[in-house]
Amino acid sequence: MNAALQFAERFRVPLCLLLVFGIWQAVHLAGVVPEKFFPSMPEIVGAFWRMLSDGTVITAWVTTFLRALIGLIAAASLGIALAILSDLSPVLSRGIRYVSDILQPIPPAAFVPMAVFMLGLGTKLYAFVIILVTVWPPYLNGVTALQAVSPVQVNTGRMFGLSRSQILWQVRLPAALPEIFTGIRYAATISLIAVIVSEMLAGRDGIGFMIYKKVYAMRSSDVFALMFLVACSGVLLNGLVALLRRALTGWHMRMMERPE
Amino acid sequence: MTSILTADAVGKAYGTGSNRLPIIKGLTLSVEPGEFVSLVGPSGCGKTTLLMCLAGLLAPSEGEVRFKGQRVTDPPIGLSVVFQDYSRSLLPWKTNLDNILFGMRRVTGMDKAAKRDRAMEILSAVGLTGFDGHYPWQVSGGMQQRVAIARGIAAQSELLLLDEPLAAVDAQTRADMQDLLLDLAARFNQTCLLVTHDVEEAVYMADRVLVLGPRPTHVVREIEVDLPKPRDQLATREHPAFLHARHEVLALIRSMRQRTVAA
Ligand SMILES: Nc1ncnc2c1ncn2[C@@H]1O[C@H](COP(=O)(O)OP(=O)(O)OP(=O)(O)O)[C@@H](O)[C@H]1O
Ligand SMILES: [Mg+2]
Repeated sequence: MNAALQFAERFRVPLCLLLVFGIWQAVHLAGVVPEKFFPSMPEIVGAFWRMLSDGTVITAWVTTFLRALIGLIAAASLGIALAILSDLSPVLSRGIRYVSDILQPIPPAAFVPMAVFMLGLGTKLYAFVIILVTVWPPYLNGVTALQAVSPVQVNTGRMFGLSRSQILWQVRLPAALPEIFTGIRYAATISLIAVIVSEMLAGRDGIGFMIYKKVYAMRSSDVFALMFLVACSGVLLNGLVALLRRALTGWHMRMMERPE
Repeated sequence: MTSILTADAVGKAYGTGSNRLPIIKGLTLSVEPGEFVSLVGPSGCGKTTLLMCLAGLLAPSEGEVRFKGQRVTDPPIGLSVVFQDYSRSLLPWKTNLDNILFGMRRVTGMDKAAKRDRAMEILSAVGLTGFDGHYPWQVSGGMQQRVAIARGIAAQSELLLLDEPLAAVDAQTRADMQDLLLDLAARFNQTCLLVTHDVEEAVYMADRVLVLGPRPTHVVREIEVDLPKPRDQLATREHPAFLHARHEVLALIRSMRQRTVAA
């Protein structure tokens, strides 16, 4: 029993994939959905292989992934910078809070048409949409976490002669970083969604645009293959965030993991 | 001899207007170099607030604090606080050694290697040899407390303000820690001001006990403790002077409590 659990824990990713494949195949064989819209696993893999060998999918994927990654880095940096500024100035904090209250509930798709008119169909569009929807989780977590730093830690810094800005950089920001990373992790998912949606609605390239074209061409196995690719990209993006998180706030992860 | 620390008619109130809550009023005290002074007072009377004012971490509303003759406005070099909430005062992203080095950032006349050696020396003096690479959350509460004390001393401190440092430990550890503290004070030439709610501890440790009154607090009485050094957990506690001082403090606290209840 224990050995089986250990095995499951160790190979959880391939096991999950296998499970998804199995269920997918079962649904396909049961015939509840017309075959045309629900291709079998081998067909999807075949479709993926075809797109891979003619090279189209690779350039599209690189384009999309880089957009999501660069957008995430920019948005996270901006979010942290704004959180620090908000911390220094309560007036600014309130101002940004109003803006975020208005903008945050708007889904990424709703920004795209407006952005097309304002910014055209280029890089600026992606930058605008991604940053506008991705900046909030790191920002909001940053503001809360900076406020929540224990006064004892701040007093410790003051006692040893740290200036206000040194306390911010050497005490409060490190203390707030774990919570900021929770926001960045969430932002990573949103960033990928924003890129795909923008590409679908206003793009000329990228995976989103490719999915859009394939949908209109009724190439359902291609569409599903691309969807799996997007899912894997999400996992990869989260993995990159987790790597950075472990490098910068590994102490916190180990502190949380330790047995009581 | 000039006092190392003086508080002259210090007052402190939190809040403003109708929410104004006076915590300290007309408090005067002085601590001489090399002395060990205990501060006892009822819970919530403002002991922590007082230490914050003495350390330059909180500005008094009235009066002034002087450290080595200089008026205290910011935390001065040479004065360290060991906070009541010591586990939170250690930075969890730094190892024990790095926490101590963090406390030494204002220390002058030592290069990096010398600071490191000094930090290791003080760590071993508090009995934590081999724990320099551990993080504070990897060691016990008592050990964290000793790291905090070591950090205070390492900061080229002459005066240690200790805020109920032994409140959370069991009786045996407590006795050991008391002797360790006395030992450290002598070995590293630390003048100490110890806040405690344990009257016996206050007398056992100190050359002088200051008794604080209820809020708004001030020094109600000053009791000289004339006991031989080094102190000994058995002999000192049976010494007539110990029993006498203990009696005086307890009687005073009891009379204050009766007065508060009556009022
Ligand atoms: N920042 C603050 N604002 C308003 N009131 C405060 C603040 N800090 C403390 N107080 C109040 O001031 C009083 C004295 O607090 P303080 O912590 O100095 O007492 P203490 O003697 O150290 O208590 P304890 O024995 O619990 O350690 C308490 O009634 C507390 O509620
Ligand atoms: Mg207190």
